Amino acid sequence: MKPRNNISPPKYYEQFFEWFCRPEYFEELQGDLEERYERNCIELGQKKASGIYKREVLKMFRPSVIKKINTQYRLNNIAMFKNYSLVALRSIARNKLFSAINIIGLSISMMVGLLAISFISELYSYDTFHEKKDRIYRVINTLHEEGEDPAYYASTSPLTGQRLSENYSGYEKVVTIYRGFSADVKRDDQKIPIAGFYASEAFFDVFTFTMLSGDHKRTLTDPYTIVLTRASAEKIFGKTDVVGEIIELNDNIQLTVTGVVENPPRTSHMSFEAIVSFETLKKVQDPKRIMRWSNMWNSHVYVLLPQGTHPEDLQANLEEIATQENSSFGTSSVEMEFQSLNSIFPGKKLYNQLGARMEIKNVNYMIILAVIVLASAAFNYTNLSVARALKRSKEVGIRKVVGARKGQVFLQFILEAIIISTVALVFAYFLFQLIRPEFLSLNRDIQRTTTLELSFIHYIYFFVFSVVIGIISGLLPSAVLSRLKPSTILRGSTQLKVTSGFTLRKLLIGLQFTLSMAFVILVSLAYKQYQFNLNFDLGFETADILNVRVQGNDSELLTNSFSQVPGVSSVSKSSWIPSVGSFWTTRGKYIEGDNSTTVHLLNVDANYLDNLGHQVLAGRSFTEGMTVPQVVVNQKLLKHFEMGEPVDAIGKHIRLEGKDRAIIGVVKDFQHATLDNEIFPFAFLNEPDNYQLINLKIESADNINTMQQIEEKWSELDPSHEFQAFFYKDRIERAYSKLSTSLQTLGLLAIIAVSISILGLLGMAVYTTESRIKELTIRKVLGASVQNLITLLSKNFLLMFVIASGITIPVTIYAFENWIVPNLVHRIDIGFWEIGSGLLAILVLATLTIGSQTLKAVKRNPVEHLRNE
Amino acid sequence: MKGSHLGEFQEVVLLVILSLDDNAYGVTIKQEIAEKVNRSISRGALHTALTRLEEKGFITSEQGESHPDRGGRKKRYYTVTNKGVAALHDAKSIRDQLWNQIPRLKLYPGYDK
Repeated sequence: MKPRNNISPPKYYEQFFEWFCRPEYFEELQGDLEERYERNCIELGQKKASGIYKREVLKMFRPSVIKKINTQYRLNNIAMFKNYSLVALRSIARNKLFSAINIIGLSISMMVGLLAISFISELYSYDTFHEKKDRIYRVINTLHEEGEDPAYYASTSPLTGQRLSENYSGYEKVVTIYRGFSADVKRDDQKIPIAGFYASEAFFDVFTFTMLSGDHKRTLTDPYTIVLTRASAEKIFGKTDVVGEIIELNDNIQLTVTGVVENPPRTSHMSFEAIVSFETLKKVQDPKRIMRWSNMWNSHVYVLLPQGTHPEDLQANLEEIATQENSSFGTSSVEMEFQSLNSIFPGKKLYNQLGARMEIKNVNYMIILAVIVLASAAFNYTNLSVARALKRSKEVGIRKVVGARKGQVFLQFILEAIIISTVALVFAYFLFQLIRPEFLSLNRDIQRTTTLELSFIHYIYFFVFSVVIGIISGLLPSAVLSRLKPSTILRGSTQLKVTSGFTLRKLLIGLQFTLSMAFVILVSLAYKQYQFNLNFDLGFETADILNVRVQGNDSELLTNSFSQVPGVSSVSKSSWIPSVGSFWTTRGKYIEGDNSTTVHLLNVDANYLDNLGHQVLAGRSFTEGMTVPQVVVNQKLLKHFEMGEPVDAIGKHIRLEGKDRAIIGVVKDFQHATLDNEIFPFAFLNEPDNYQLINLKIESADNINTMQQIEEKWSELDPSHEFQAFFYKDRIERAYSKLSTSLQTLGLLAIIAVSISILGLLGMAVYTTESRIKELTIRKVLGASVQNLITLLSKNFLLMFVIASGITIPVTIYAFENWIVPNLVHRIDIGFWEIGSGLLAILVLATLTIGSQTLKAVKRNPVEHLRNE
Repeated sequence: MKGSHLGEFQEVVLLVILSLDDNAYGVTIKQEIAEKVNRSISRGALHTALTRLEEKGFITSEQGESHPDRGGRKKRYYTVTNKGVAALHDAKSIRDQLWNQIPRLKLYPGYDK
């Protein structure tokens, strides 16, 4: 016979079997299985024998073999559950302060949890309505330009789509989408603006949008066809049954309506009012230019892969296309890959998105923050409950003597934690409703993409979430309490080892404080930076400037009309406005020198420099009716081309946008970009056809009245478009909305972190004074002063505070510079008060908390605490 | 507990135990069923049947000797009680009665030829 140890059956299965099998049967059944196994080993080989053995074990999983749960115990459970709930409620009611601390702390942090749950579940519901969603992929580009970091684009050239469908098999459908369809529909002397994109014919085969009327196979096949949505059809025709109707656009193009679809769901990453066939675009624009490899900014290619095909299998096709096309692409090159529809929204950061965007990074931040805040509050509960375990130890002792098992005591305290967290859930829910609008207005991406509306499934998520939080926070106290030995408790021994792990607790409290200090300091830094940015001296005047969008009208007409309004002191025109994050750049070359550089451009009229208060250092501004190409530049440009003093530069020529232009004036450098950029060489051009904005300087006592008059003038000239105007200051504010979002988020987190840690501290202070009350009283009787006692109790805390701030300060400064304002060129100086004020605020709050408790304890008459011994 | 009805599989098990005489334990019963009745069953399924039979009082069992092949674990031998034997007779007589009631022609098509 073989030695036994060589051929014993699979160990884990044996253990598993032993675990679930009734002990009285195990001997026989395991023996039988093992005997069979031995024989199979000899007859069939060990491998087969093991397989058979495993199957046999799994088939043992039946009622007649599985351990029975004691029925008597089960019946008893219902009664015990009642008892546990009752005791839990009584204990919550008896310790009102502690329950309040726990419930408030938990509900504040659970609110963050609820936000995270509803936010994230909403984000991940995006694009789930497409029936073939798991097979849809988008081609995305990575552009490598010489001397620059790779840039990631959601777009790719339409050529990619064409080549994929013509030269390669293995794709069920390929659809090309070309952004930027926007037109006015002429209808009964009215102009109705609609917007959307161009798409090739496979669009409705790939994406699932409900077709109200029209044949979805043919809708986008022919040139000059358009598909409307329910909303745009009703806007234009007042009905949706409009297939076959012809609409005329403002540039005399006629399109036939071939279909009407339901409005795209809110949870679609692409939104549109109308889709025009891609063939139309090839007719109205130069098809050669559109299909160029370098034209990769406006178009998106989506592919539908056949069942069972992986995008990795087809990656080689993309590489082949890229290699072939890159050869005629100069020094730049493009890399392509597939991105699945499910990872578009939320997804990684890409330029030229088709519609809504949400960075996966933000989602991750949200999860991390929620976890930190929740951990902090759960820890408070754990900490307080463990600290107060002493008070409940008699109860545990009696229960155990009467016959409670360890598991039952454990269950009792877990249940208590779950009851607390469920109560907290109710409060958290109300807080959630309060904070919801604030959260939605945090930033424009959130506002545009989410509503945080709750459905039934969310309530289930919430409940499960609160139970999980209850279990997590109750785990440690339950373990401590259920481990207590009745003999030790009931003997009256006061040396209960429940305070072991005290250093761990201190460490965690210290961490809470580090966290809240960090948030408070970050808020004060971010606030100061934000104010700094808004009030930064840009080098020109933005106050009282109202910018009105031209929207395709005659800018001269508008200017004349607006300047008649009383209260408008001066008017100018420009192609865009600087300092709010927009750019228009070109290569500029100095004719006499031979170096060239990137020059930022702005097209303005003769009044602009004066109107915006630019300081002209030498030469003059533009004048009306000039014919020779001229340019006004900034000092930086002079410096770059080494033209010397401003006066010397006048009359020199630089080549910009294909024309040699004479420098007629030099302006003082101004901050033409947002503060995360340096000042670049800058040039003002004067090319009349290209004005998009009218800049009105308003000097009036009655702004509202003036605005109304301007708006009236607008509707006289252009009744079909809505008046669109914004104050320069507001647009600058919007340029820094990312910072203000961080500021708001940090503010909220600071409030949460501080309140949770103060609550925790309050709890610990109450507990410490309560448990040391006799010691304090005796000290007092023996002559200790109130100050002495307060010092005694807060000494530890002060030490903790010092250590915590030692960690906080460097970490916070690092976080501020690297995460909050990573690219800012003009950064505030971080001085003593920016840091100190935050620390001080926390210190004062904490000292008040501890001090008030200590004071309360030591002011009481000593007799009250000493008489009952 | 269910009544003393004898299920079809249980009947097979009883007969197999009887046929194995004093060597009826888990492994042999299972093997016999596999070979003679041509039914491959798991040890777990057999266990269920055996406990049922024991609950109904048709079989008794006693612990036997241990064996190194079994990891030193003891066997459990099963024997059919008188009640079990009576139940088998009952089952057989009910069947015989039914068999006898059936016209021969239906059971053996072509018998008259």
